[in-house]
Amino acid sequence: MSDLREEEIKVFTDTVTHYFTQLTSEAAAVRGAYLDSSGESTPMYDFTGQISVSGLFRGSVTVSAPRAMIRHLLVALHETDHSEDNLRDTIGELANTLAGNARRHFGERMEISVPITAAGALPAGTGGRERPYVIMVNWKTYSASLVVDIEKND
Amino acid sequence: MKLLIVDDSNVIRQRIARLTADPRLAEVEIIGQARNGAEALDMFARKPPDLVTMDLTMPELGGVECTEQMVAKKPDVLILVVSALSDKPTALRALKKGAQGFLYKPFTDDQLVTALQEVMRP
Repeated sequence: MSDLREEEIKVFTDTVTHYFTQLTSEAAAVRGAYLDSSGESTPMYDFTGQISVSGLFRGSVTVSAPRAMIRHLLVALHETDHSEDNLRDTIGELANTLAGNARRHFGERMEISVPITAAGALPAGTGGRERPYVIMVNWKTYSASLVVDIEKND
Repeated sequence: MKLLIVDDSNVIRQRIARLTADPRLAEVEIIGQARNGAEALDMFARKPPDLVTMDLTMPELGGVECTEQMVAKKPDVLILVVSALSDKPTALRALKKGAQGFLYKPFTDDQLVTALQEVMRP
């Protein structure tokens, strides 16, 4: 179960809006954040990237976005290679950047892994626990999900 | 100025490579791209660069350790860390190991060019 406080959730919402503003000059909007108490209402899209968290915290940070959104992001970066590999690479780098930037608040003892990525959702049982925070993000006409499922290690 | 780009993300490597075409970086010539610290050290041994962009979170061998080993072999190598790890102790550790600069991801095109210029400034 995720035990983040409201201001800690805000760290991630600020991080994701900063990411899109910084890279594309077009802000992303956070549509809402909720605790997925059922564990079954987390939207997953065409590509998913996940960072495992260890050290002082445990859990994962997961980002999932539709193909068209990632392609549009690559266009904004003047990147012409829109191959399947590069789309997966981009969602992994997005997850890595959001988790890495969150260390400004959580500190270096929130250790993060290299990303794992998948076309579609990650295989069942990959990092997910019972009650993650789901942050829904809109950028341009697209929706993506950022799933924050971390808690302090005892 | 011979540049080695080290990052586990292909998109980031391609982006950095593209940005080195900026006229302000006319003296920079890319001599290699590595996906992790181990690959970077191998390339470094075969063809030592003058300048390195270094990611930190990578498989096999991370960027801080890689920086330390490169500086031990070539103390005058210029290393710009390009990383999403945004806590101060990590940046300080990389600088202490011999990096000359630290650029946080996500970065704009201009931020990367400026950061490379600053690292190369005599």
